Amino acid sequence: MRRILVWMAVCVIQALSGGIVLAQDLHAPASVTAGDEMTISTPATGNATFYLVGPGISRRSSITGGETIRLRPDDLRNAGRYMVLLCSGTCQSTAFYVNAATPGSLTFLVHPSRVPVSQPDAISGVALPFDQFHNLVLTPVAVDFHLTSSKALVLSQPASTRNGVAWFRATSGKSAGMLEVTAMLGDLSVRRVVQQVASDPCNLSITGQQVRGGFLVRTVPVRDCAGDAVPDGTIVSFTATGANGKSTVDAPLKHGIAQAQIAASGDTVISVASGVVMGNELHLRNQP
Amino acid sequence: MTRQARCASHAFFALFSLAAFLCCGSLPGRAGDSTLSVQLDTSRAGPRVVESLTRQRILRDYRFAWRSLSEAVEFNTLNPLNGPFVGDAKRWLSETVTSQQKSGISQRYTHQSHELGAVFYAPEGDVIELHDTARYELEIFDAGKAVDSQPIVVHYVVLMTPGSDRWVIRQLQAVPQF
Repeated sequence: MRRILVWMAVCVIQALSGGIVLAQDLHAPASVTAGDEMTISTPATGNATFYLVGPGISRRSSITGGETIRLRPDDLRNAGRYMVLLCSGTCQSTAFYVNAATPGSLTFLVHPSRVPVSQPDAISGVALPFDQFHNLVLTPVAVDFHLTSSKALVLSQPASTRNGVAWFRATSGKSAGMLEVTAMLGDLSVRRVVQQVASDPCNLSITGQQVRGGFLVRTVPVRDCAGDAVPDGTIVSFTATGANGKSTVDAPLKHGIAQAQIAASGDTVISVASGVVMGNELHLRNQP
Repeated sequence: MTRQARCASHAFFALFSLAAFLCCGSLPGRAGDSTLSVQLDTSRAGPRVVESLTRQRILRDYRFAWRSLSEAVEFNTLNPLNGPFVGDAKRWLSETVTSQQKSGISQRYTHQSHELGAVFYAPEGDVIELHDTARYELEIFDAGKAVDSQPIVVHYVVLMTPGSDRWVIRQLQAVPQF
């Protein structure tokens, strides 16, 4: 019984040591940085076939066992999992990872490109750092977001990437004009521009006069509540209600003013609206 | 046999044939689906909430992308990569296929299971980051002869963006761990 136990122990030790020797035979570092060189040591097995399979690479070559395989920086540009196979009768395999190098570029997505002023959480940006080989950098790095309007700093928000992403959200500024949004990571800087435009019209007001066959109605210059001119092209609707029923004319703002000629006779009520904003009413009488 | 009985017999035969055709027709599809399973957990995604319909689309398109990837590296053809992949993911996958065409190597992914977790969904919904714990059997072939086969667990960091008619994979990067 004792002999059997000793024999079994010897077998187990031999099996374990055999496994360790096998694992040591084909050796590659567990991880390497993208664009670095690395070497793989191979066991002395005589003639063998060496395979390297990874992202963007698939190589097969005949080698002599014991040779050290040198992988060039160009072979290891893409981050990911690489697999090494060495076949000489039977095959041995090992794997290693290539990790992203230091940031070499910054992808910066900013939304929207055009935003009304004073809108809470209306502007957002997402920054993703990539290394020079376009691998996503997953180790946390500091990114600073700067929002400037008319060369004055509106917001400065430091952030750290998490899972390779940093982001911010901000309220749009108080006045219309260009808003520069910049993401900075070390020496890297990416700039985007958001056009801040006037918000909804405020105090929409019209005047009118009698013309042949109807009325000519016109808004006073249309501005938002902050005093910014509402952009040209914004539609203003004039509605006339009279003895002949109701009719509506849509007119775009041009140089801040919208105007329309409405055909009507007799007593007529003309109202104005733009979006959800209503203006004043005019009570006019068309006298022949 | 009466005329009524003959009609009934013909009707039964037609129905039986139709049923057999439908069953046989659907079998390969089911077998294909059973070898590639994808699960998606969006509970940790933020700052934007992933809507149910978006989740379904991402699941559908991610599954299709892996099916296309498998086909591309098994048959060394670039066509399946057009559509589901863009940007750097498409670039390195294309390089892999081109490199395999030269070396005579091919890879076969079987028994795939992908456990996806959304970790970031941009405020405007224009990019989503997923973590995929992928389990599959990877076979390596040299000139059609199998040289290695092993079950593998790989962690992928994935960036997907919405395209005109589907979600596309822009970044697919294997990492040692999340």
